[in-house]
Amino acid sequence: MEKKGAEEGAEMSYEPKIAAFCCTYCAYSAADLAGSMRLQYPPTVRMVKLLCTGKVEPIHLLKAFEAGADAVFVAG
Amino acid sequence: MRAKRWVRYTKGLLKEIGIEPERLEMFNMSSSMATAFAEAVEEMTRRAKELGPSPLKRKKEAA
Amino acid sequence: MIVGQRKPFDEIKSYVDGCQRILVLGCGTCVAVCMAGGEKEVQILASQLRIAFKEEGKDVQVDEETILRQCDREYFDTLKDRVDKYDVVISMACGAGVQLAAELFPHRVVVPALNTTFIGIAEKEGVWSEKCRACSNCLLAETGGICPITICPKGLVNGPCGGTNHGKCEVDKNKDCAWTLIYRRLEGQGRLEKIREIHPPKNYKVQTTPATIWHAAYREEEA
Repeated sequence: MEKKGAEEGAEMSYEPKIAAFCCTYCAYSAADLAGSMRLQYPPTVRMVKLLCTGKVEPIHLLKAFEAGADAVFVAG
Repeated sequence: MRAKRWVRYTKGLLKEIGIEPERLEMFNMSSSMATAFAEAVEEMTRRAKELGPSPLKRKKEAA
Repeated sequence: MIVGQRKPFDEIKSYVDGCQRILVLGCGTCVAVCMAGGEKEVQILASQLRIAFKEEGKDVQVDEETILRQCDREYFDTLKDRVDKYDVVISMACGAGVQLAAELFPHRVVVPALNTTFIGIAEKEGVWSEKCRACSNCLLAETGGICPITICPKGLVNGPCGGTNHGKCEVDKNKDCAWTLIYRRLEGQGRLEKIREIHPPKNYKVQTTPATIWHAAYREEEA
């Protein structure tokens, strides 16, 4: 959501949309830290914050694809 | 782990409807693993580029 | 409870290809508990269908609804006026629920999304096993609470066959011999003499097909 990464090279044919389901306490903090560290990662990711990845349900992941995500990952 | 199980299961659901299961993945990391997060985004971006746009969009453009 | 499993996606989709308006109808009782046809599974199937149709460039309306039980008429009341809007209803209930839905909506095509498998119990999260064949003639009192009709592939009622092998079954080495289980249970209860009782051949006549039963409190009123 915050901290979009660096500009990508011009060779890419399309800008993929990636949904990330993140645990507040692990991956979301990691992403936060990545921002503070000014680590560069692609600006393709949209984050969904979960209290815990244990809450993730198949329907959430399917809905992300239904909404047009090109890739989805769960991190926690 | 619960999330891992459902991610694996959802990969099967995606396969059934013709979406490459590689478009979905599970990554484990702790709050201090900023690099791991950046790598996860890079890996999924790489896969999404390799596989091309989601089949949902491809058909829409063709139509 | 009744345990079912969802059919493969391609089979379900083949039932509804060409339809414009689809209702995915879940059942909130047995098949919801065995994670096959409840509200969550309705959402998943509906989402899969929407994605699959979108991939084909088709504009198909897929709606979701789950009622408490599809084996009771009253729970269909809320659907009566709406169901005419759909070309097809995909019922995610057991075979009984699908048939009641089809009976109540005779002018609509009703198709099943599950294969109904057995009456069973939950062993642990995500695992169920068959316990009862609904034979209409329960003999669990004689067999230490273990059903040889269900657990023994041969349905023997008077002890094990010659194929019992160190507690396992000759038909499937991974499965327990029902009569060894019964022996151990009765032994533990100090009731081993029970196993010597001879049971007459099982009366399959009472296993009428199809059966209708009346609750005792209602039987006389009707007569």
